[in-house]
Amino acid sequence: MKTRNVSILLAAILVIVGAVVAGSGRSSSEIPAPPAIGATIDEFTLPDVDGHDRAFKSLKGKNGTVLIFIAVQCPVSNAYNERMEKLAEDYQAKGVAVIGINANASDDAATVKAHAATKGLKFPILKDPANKLADKLGASKTPEAYFIDGNNKLLYHGRIDNSQNPDAIESNDLRQAIDSALGGKPIEKPEAKAFGCSIKRA
Amino acid sequence: MRFSHNLLSVGLIVLLASFAVPAQRKSRTARRAKPAPAKVSVEAINTDALKVLIAKPKDKPLLVSFWATWCDPCRDEFPDLVKIDKDYRPQSLDFVTISLDEVADIKTSVPAFLSQMKATMPAYLLDVKDPEPAINAVDPRWQGDLPATFLYNAKGEIIYKHVGRVNTVELREAIEKLIKN
Repeated sequence: MKTRNVSILLAAILVIVGAVVAGSGRSSSEIPAPPAIGATIDEFTLPDVDGHDRAFKSLKGKNGTVLIFIAVQCPVSNAYNERMEKLAEDYQAKGVAVIGINANASDDAATVKAHAATKGLKFPILKDPANKLADKLGASKTPEAYFIDGNNKLLYHGRIDNSQNPDAIESNDLRQAIDSALGGKPIEKPEAKAFGCSIKRA
Repeated sequence: MRFSHNLLSVGLIVLLASFAVPAQRKSRTARRAKPAPAKVSVEAINTDALKVLIAKPKDKPLLVSFWATWCDPCRDEFPDLVKIDKDYRPQSLDFVTISLDEVADIKTSVPAFLSQMKATMPAYLLDVKDPEPAINAVDPRWQGDLPATFLYNAKGEIIYKHVGRVNTVELREAIEKLIKN
């Protein structure tokens, strides 16, 4: 009996120590790879910042939807607040919706709601508490955008543009991708990368 | 029964002792006189120079940390990285840090933070208009999320990589394995 107790104690200590010493990040290999451009994205339902479940199909745009993984505290994500809101406003009339996704375990729904109000983000924001959508899309950082057409086909994945600094934008990759798709043209650069804050996964 | 009980007890003591050793080392270090913070200079690096830095033939392994002052987990992990540099540089490890801050910060917040951390490894700041070629040059599978840590062998091959706050146990194991081989 004593041996069994010691075994349980030792196992418990090892588990606790393992959890403490392990870093909070995940190796690149542990984050699922993003779907290939052209892949169909499954329908999903996530809670909004008030805790109400919202189905993607009830929010998506007729001509496409931009999903952007965003964060409350990430300065890179925050550098794009005005640009993201402007994007949502500019493309609403063109049948393209913008949806923010917050998959950071460190940002609770109330904080996300307050942050959106303070920063003037009027587009819907969903919480991804178990990182199900982030895992499905292979999202690893904020901001990270996905443009999906009206039939849920992934057309663009990556950065919003090339620079956090609005004065240094040289390549408006996300807007160019949307404009090409809306104009029936092939998207020249369907993937583009930039630096960002890693998503604090649950 | 008794033997297995004893074995488990010994295991428990060894485990606890292994955590006590770093604490002892820390207290010894703390007793030493504190040196004045070193003046840190940060060098701008472009994509081509970065490619050369990581791919050139080396006589020892190279650890590269991509970070930024605006990145909370980057700042949080920095003391661990400084400790790793101090522990392994004498055992043939090169370590460089590459900041993704704005170029305007190259003489201000970046060296100030490094100096505060007592970081003495060579420090660079990526000076590019488009970050994508640099990200892909480091690892085409990397999306650019920070912090990111890459360990290269002497041939310039990635032996270990991690995004998010570094896992020091894993990283130290990877370094030791590389140094021993």
